[in-house]
Amino acid sequence: MPSECSLLLPRVCAALADPRQSGSDDTCLEKLLDWFRVLTRLDPTVSLLQDNPCLTDFIAAVLALPEPSLSILSFTLRLAGMLAASEHRFQHLQQEQLLVRLFGREGPLNSALWEDASVRSGWVAGVHSMMQHQPALHFLCNGGGIDVVFALQGDPSLFVASAASQLLVHMLTLSVESETTKPLSTVDCDWPACAQMIIKHIEDSLQSSSASHVEHSLKLLTNLFGSCCTPWTKVLWFSIAKHLESFLTEETVQAQHKLANLLLKMAWSPVFSEADSRFWALVTSALECFTPVQAGPLAVGVLRLYKCPQDVRMQALTVLLQPMDCILRAASQPLEYAGLLDESVSDPTTVESLLSSKSSCAGLLCQTLAHLEQLLSLIHLPVDLPYVSLLRSLMAILQFCNGSLSPASPLGNTISRILINCFRVQKSALDVLAALSERKGCDALIENLFDILLAYLESPNTSPTVLKKAFQATSKWLVCLQELSCSNSQWQQTVKILEAVFLVLQKRLCSPCWEVRDSSLEFLTVLIKYLRDQDEFRQCLLSSEVPRLTEDLLEDPESYVRASAVTAVGHLAFITYFSPEPPVMGNQYNKENTIAKLQEILSTDSEGFPRRAVISIFTKWLRQGCTGQLEDTEQFVSRVIQIVENDLDWEVRLGGLELVQVFCNQTVCQLGLPKCPYAPVPSAVTSSGHQNQSLQIFCRAKLFGFLFHSLCDCDKPLGQRACDILIGLRSHFYPTSTLKASQAVEESPAGHSVAWLQRTLRQGALAQNFPIDGGDGMDFQDPESMMLALGTIDFEDLHSELNRCSDHVEKSPQSLLQDIIATVGTTEENEADCY
Amino acid sequence: MPEIKVTPLGAGQDVGRSCILVSIAGKNVMLDCGMHMGYNDDRRFPDFSYITQNGRLTDFLDCVIISHFHLDHCGALPYFSEMVGYDGPIYMTHPTKAICPILLEDYRKITVDKKGETNFFTSQMIKDCMKKVVAVHLHQTVQVDEELEIKAYYAGHVLGAAMFQIKVGCESVVYTGDYNMTPDRHLGAAWVDKCRPDLLITESTYATTIRDSKRCRERDFLKKVHETVERGGKVLIPVFALGRAQELCILLETFWERMNLKAPIYFSTGLTEKANHYYKLFITWTNQKIRKTFVQRNMFEFKHIKAFDRAFADNPGPMVVFATPGMLHAGQSLQIFRKWAGNEKNMVIMPGYCVQGTVGHKILSGQRKLEMEGRQILEVKMQVEYMSFSAHADAKGIMQLIRQAEPRNVLLVHGEAKKMEFLKQKIEQEFHVSCYMPANGETTTIFTNPSIPVDISLGLLKRETAIGLLPDAKKPKLMHGTLIMKDNSFRLVSPEQALKELGLAEHQLRFTCRVHIQDPRKEHETVLRVYNHLKGVLKDYSVQHLPDGSITVESILIQATAHSEDQGTKVLLVSWTYQDEELGSYLTALLKKGLPPSTS
Repeated sequence: MPSECSLLLPRVCAALADPRQSGSDDTCLEKLLDWFRVLTRLDPTVSLLQDNPCLTDFIAAVLALPEPSLSILSFTLRLAGMLAASEHRFQHLQQEQLLVRLFGREGPLNSALWEDASVRSGWVAGVHSMMQHQPALHFLCNGGGIDVVFALQGDPSLFVASAASQLLVHMLTLSVESETTKPLSTVDCDWPACAQMIIKHIEDSLQSSSASHVEHSLKLLTNLFGSCCTPWTKVLWFSIAKHLESFLTEETVQAQHKLANLLLKMAWSPVFSEADSRFWALVTSALECFTPVQAGPLAVGVLRLYKCPQDVRMQALTVLLQPMDCILRAASQPLEYAGLLDESVSDPTTVESLLSSKSSCAGLLCQTLAHLEQLLSLIHLPVDLPYVSLLRSLMAILQFCNGSLSPASPLGNTISRILINCFRVQKSALDVLAALSERKGCDALIENLFDILLAYLESPNTSPTVLKKAFQATSKWLVCLQELSCSNSQWQQTVKILEAVFLVLQKRLCSPCWEVRDSSLEFLTVLIKYLRDQDEFRQCLLSSEVPRLTEDLLEDPESYVRASAVTAVGHLAFITYFSPEPPVMGNQYNKENTIAKLQEILSTDSEGFPRRAVISIFTKWLRQGCTGQLEDTEQFVSRVIQIVENDLDWEVRLGGLELVQVFCNQTVCQLGLPKCPYAPVPSAVTSSGHQNQSLQIFCRAKLFGFLFHSLCDCDKPLGQRACDILIGLRSHFYPTSTLKASQAVEESPAGHSVAWLQRTLRQGALAQNFPIDGGDGMDFQDPESMMLALGTIDFEDLHSELNRCSDHVEKSPQSLLQDIIATVGTTEENEADCY
Repeated sequence: MPEIKVTPLGAGQDVGRSCILVSIAGKNVMLDCGMHMGYNDDRRFPDFSYITQNGRLTDFLDCVIISHFHLDHCGALPYFSEMVGYDGPIYMTHPTKAICPILLEDYRKITVDKKGETNFFTSQMIKDCMKKVVAVHLHQTVQVDEELEIKAYYAGHVLGAAMFQIKVGCESVVYTGDYNMTPDRHLGAAWVDKCRPDLLITESTYATTIRDSKRCRERDFLKKVHETVERGGKVLIPVFALGRAQELCILLETFWERMNLKAPIYFSTGLTEKANHYYKLFITWTNQKIRKTFVQRNMFEFKHIKAFDRAFADNPGPMVVFATPGMLHAGQSLQIFRKWAGNEKNMVIMPGYCVQGTVGHKILSGQRKLEMEGRQILEVKMQVEYMSFSAHADAKGIMQLIRQAEPRNVLLVHGEAKKMEFLKQKIEQEFHVSCYMPANGETTTIFTNPSIPVDISLGLLKRETAIGLLPDAKKPKLMHGTLIMKDNSFRLVSPEQALKELGLAEHQLRFTCRVHIQDPRKEHETVLRVYNHLKGVLKDYSVQHLPDGSITVESILIQATAHSEDQGTKVLLVSWTYQDEELGSYLTALLKKGLPPSTS
């Protein structure tokens, strides 16, 4: 412990134990515990307690209080537990009789204070922290404390109940792993005493007629199998298997969800292999017996396993696909399409009845769709899904939802009435549709699919959130369509679809709802990103009104939309002005106009988003080499820097620094210096000539004023970025050996101003107005001064200073202790206040 | 029995961050989704893993409702919707939807600015989250789905703050969020219908306080600013971009105008324009005075308040600067503070509370020598003032709201346990309703007794009135019929009509009972004895001896057979319909007593 903290700690302890104080706020106590957690982990010896006797005194003082504050008591329990986590300190606290008074029968657990959840929570947390060694285990088990933990599993506080369950798992693991003398066998299992108590409790609870007891045990086992994968857990399985099996045969037990969770965790545990037939038989019958809603999570979990018996996988697949199969059958004429499943293996009655009920239909479909999306998001699917039938089924769902499909079958008719305008199902189905675009083999349906997607994009009934998802799905399928038309040369179909998409987009860009305009612009940007190399796409886009409308949205009243318009316009430029063969366009679309417009936004827009979007687009253009020759680029960068260096939004200024960084790298690269080893170097140019030239360019572009000013910015990320750039530049201009010693700098006029700069940088954010264009003789455009500054300023030191968070001092333990001491006696009003 | 369950994940016996789960008639609603600014790790957000152990959040929660734009009520929303994965509907009022992203963005910038922060949402996430929000109008009933509806009421407190009524069928809950029962300079007082909810969930920040008038605090504030400026000092007011800043701007603007002061007032965030734009846009949400004067002069168009440039901080002479962030923990406000702290002529006024770990917290707790970066010590010589302008209902206001709404139960949140305990007793005494105050993670269950409206068919009603008295609205009346539950509606119809509507065939249910009688005579003689006995006892009933040897009493049928093993025992099989249940039971009891001795 730092000595400053040791000095403060006694006063802190005294303040906390003083019942007259109204009490520190909870965050202080939490942070104090965070600090002790680190301290106790670093040093397991007893010296922490010996060197700071105030800690044990504090615990004793709190115990002596007739009515301790609940938060302080809870804190004390947790602190004592942390301290007792090492065996040495445990013994020390035992000798002082503190642990037994805190956690034993005479402690808070038999007083009225126990009524308060924070005290119970502190008790469980304290015991959990302490539970790192056998003496602690015996302390609790022998003192009857384990019964308290059993009871706390059913605590009215969710937090306490969950913590108690976790604690039992931890104790069971600790007991088995530290106290077992010989390997455990399934035949004659000799569990250590503490483990035996817990396992007996689990078994008793599983056989209990009380549903809550059964649930607690299932939860405990779920936590155990979820966190512990050692072989002994399999031995445990043999002791509980018959109880779990009985849950499936006895209809009275209502713990299907919890049992499904447990089976899922077990299925994922590496201790169960494909050969464990008894376990997999249980999983299979659970999949069969549970309702589709209960079995769904288990089914999808099983399907994500790479190793699992085939029949279990088939059963899981049946559970997952059955709702989709029913939809397909309900939507189509008899014998029109084969379903997803063979009717001989699955009985659709339950699913059909769930789908035809108003209260369960949407829920079941949303769950199934979410599970399908989960599966489809895996790169390597352990199972083959029938993609075409799935797509057909999805299309049917989407048609049911927008009322464009009302089949004759009674089930289809019922479902269509339930699903119409159901946003939840629409969103989930569109998510799966987007995920399905990554899978091959659905080509034949693509035209019909776009009919449906376009209907969604066009319909005024489509809600903005659904529309956003429809855009996402459409963009993904358009990419597929392009790939498809490249391979089969069916350009006409593609052009037709693209024209329809842009027609819809035109309307949507004019929507009165900002969410829709914004999603439309985002959609356009995505399309350009992925499809800008396709001729058909470019032609369709440029012959539509979309580019003009997008430019108009640069003046949208909503700043989010303006920012998205900036990004879209920036991307559009790649297929207009920056394209190798720019298309012939009207006067209003010229490059200078657009750049001027964006620069105007950068300098005048009242909000940060559009300005940030502009600077990021400029950087993107620069990266892609769109800003012209070096000279043009220099002017461009210089102009942009002048606009952004005084921006009120630090993220815009940070964007400016990024632009500077790209520019520096490119300039250095273009002039053929070693930073870029593959750049062609004209043989006539010498290395120092390059250096001179690039330094002059940087000075002319007024980079250095911006960079040095940023070092003193009150917003830290700017200082860090500027420092990174300057370190990069220095390594470029100075090989390490040639760095000048800092003491000699004041000899020349340039040296004098660099010395001033050094002093100013030391003041950091407290520096007085930082002169960018000459101050104290400092000329940031003078190559000689800049060269000297780069060579003499200790950027590494600055860098490590800037790299710390701006409130690291206030967040330090010493500062925390000071704050606790300082709050003693402050008025209550300050503490009680809030927004 | 129907029940409403409430589990606070935040605001249960604390004022950290509000997040309350309500389960009503099978619907699950999250009320507020706040952030705790006292932490810089995951503890700043509620632990959402407790919402559901099974399945996805989106499937479990039917909607999220945000009461107002303060971060302790909405700060975790982008995290919840974009990082935890909730994809369902979110409701808030129009002003809250407009202002909420400004505050979230402001706080995100401060958080990112500080460095060392993990797991925080981005600008894009804030935007994506706001796109999912459905904005509601005051008093507009919004149908979340076919059963769940919500309605917003004016809450005062801050622009756009609302209380929400959540209703499923005839069960309802009102959640107040933060509210203020007394109008202030720019907002009106909270108001709610006499909607008699099953449960009122109310904040209780000032549960034991009767606050002095806000006017006094405002006067005090102006006096202090004025004195400092007069003696040539600078005043720093650290604020968050929106909310209190605008309130204080109005205050200073009016004062400057009245006193004809010339010292400049600056606002540093660059967000003033947008903030003021929203205050103008949502003028209907402000109080009557502002609305009235709006025609002549818009209160939010400031003549004296100008945008701040970083270079101004070093200018000589007096000035007043509003700078973000509000707790002096990073950025501009901290920079200005460090520059001005050494001069005793200057003043910093903290208009809101500060969490531990900030410079604001330090100076408010009286620390005057602050360690700064690089082991520098900053001596704070400037005056430090704390002025709470938070607009919450005090104890009187809370009682007033309960009187207004007339709830059947009250549940306290957003307050300190001790103060809640006091208020709880007061509420229970005065209103004779149960009052609860669950801690975070604790579930309170309230049993409701909903009256379920049922339509009665005209035929049944006519039949009932034909046999009895005319229905009287004040007297409960027992009615017999068949209840049909179909398409979310209940109808009581006559059994015949129910059979007809549902296309079902009628089945007769008969109860049977065997009674053993010792009688050595022939069967037909035993039957005759029984017949005579019954005829003698049941004089008012129609007792018949049928040709097939059986006896009927009304619908009850009695047949006699000899016992297969003992001819001296006769078995009487008695059967009756449901309608004659009483008579059937009486008859069997009678027969079990045996027959009277034979007279023949």
